[in-house]
Amino acid sequence: MRVRVSLLLGALLLASGSVHAFNLDLNKLIDIGKKTTDLKEVDEQGEAEIGNVSAAALLGAAPLVQNEKLQAYVNEVGLWLAMQTERPDLAWRFGVMDTDSVNAFAAPGGYVFITRGLLLRMRNEAELAGVLAHEIGHVLKRHHLVAIQKNAKSGLAANLLSMAVDNSSGGYGEWKKKAIGASTELYARGLDKEDEFEADRLGVVIAARAGYDPYGLPSVLQTLDGMNAQDGNLALLFKTHPAARQRLDLLDTAMAGSLDRYASQPVMKDRFEKIVGEYARKGK
Amino acid sequence: MTLRRLSSAAVLLSISVASLAAEMGQTLVNTDLKSEPFADAKTLASLPGNSAVDVLKRQGGWMQVKPAGNSEGWVKMTAVKLGGATANAKGDSGMTALWNTAMQGRSGNTGVTVATGVRGLSPEDMKNAQPAPEQVKKLDSFAATKSQAESAAKSSKLSRRNIDYIVDASGARK
Repeated sequence: MRVRVSLLLGALLLASGSVHAFNLDLNKLIDIGKKTTDLKEVDEQGEAEIGNVSAAALLGAAPLVQNEKLQAYVNEVGLWLAMQTERPDLAWRFGVMDTDSVNAFAAPGGYVFITRGLLLRMRNEAELAGVLAHEIGHVLKRHHLVAIQKNAKSGLAANLLSMAVDNSSGGYGEWKKKAIGASTELYARGLDKEDEFEADRLGVVIAARAGYDPYGLPSVLQTLDGMNAQDGNLALLFKTHPAARQRLDLLDTAMAGSLDRYASQPVMKDRFEKIVGEYARKGK
Repeated sequence: MTLRRLSSAAVLLSISVASLAAEMGQTLVNTDLKSEPFADAKTLASLPGNSAVDVLKRQGGWMQVKPAGNSEGWVKMTAVKLGGATANAKGDSGMTALWNTAMQGRSGNTGVTVATGVRGLSPEDMKNAQPAPEQVKKLDSFAATKSQAESAAKSSKLSRRNIDYIVDASGARK
């Protein structure tokens, strides 16, 4: 791996034509090169950059709902959940996407999205918290980051390196294009099943830590299980996730004896119905 | 004026009725109907699989149900599959009815369901998505601060708990 990095560096230097004109901080570049050769060592800035373009791709597929009050509400709930985790200081961003599709997404660096179609099917804030906490779990474990890096055909490690170079010459269009391609492909294909199960287990604990009834997420899974599988609004979710019934059964087993004692924590029905209900009544 | 008031009252009425409509489901397997939401509570009856139930209430991993021909009681939520012969079969839980009513009002559509397939997000849409960086900037403007999140939680009496993560499917914790 080290050999490859130095080869790459050599190629970059040659391509630049002149080292002086490039004004390249070689030590910094070598440092980034070392980091990106190891998947686990992409630093938080690299993670945030990948997250930023992934979020742009998601919001290109479906934009944000234009309702400031609703978006602020979801951000308050989401950040309160994230504050109960080992990564409270990421730049957490939560958004409701304007689509009938039923789904939720995470992107590296702290981006979490839920669709209107899923939000409107929820009964209370504990259900919302459960879904946001599941997505937070993906960010905590860097599931998307690792999958994007593993699967990017051209190798995102090398692209991160060229990002640093491109930055010094005033733009990094090529890198972004590749990162967007890798992330949209991942969102269309989905993560490993095990990543989803892990995010489920993290999600229920995070919701309970934040003071909610931890059965919000199981309750949403039960809703999904009861929906018509032929409904086009479920196509992407069902394609990219293990069956809701299987997730529900696994969670039920995992939660028994440890989380059921928190089942009497609040579900926050009133606040949810007030804010989401007000939005729903407007129908936009 | 009177007419307008009357019709808005009718809309309000239909909204509250729609959102209060009981959810329905059926048992997946033979299930004990309990007097309370606990495994060791008294068993009221044994419900065979495919018993139709009205869902009255939820509490943690339990559901209070009213089975046809039985008095109400509690069953494990995992024993119930939601959905029945009516709107519930389409997953119209939560606020869906409110949204549908609003959309009908706007479009003048008198049909029963209008919310499907208006703006979807298919696997193809996702693959072909064109990036929208200006939307990410907009998202930044909605971000909460920690103190906002904290005071929102405090005002709703949500309190922090120290709980270990569940590390595997068996429920082991760390």
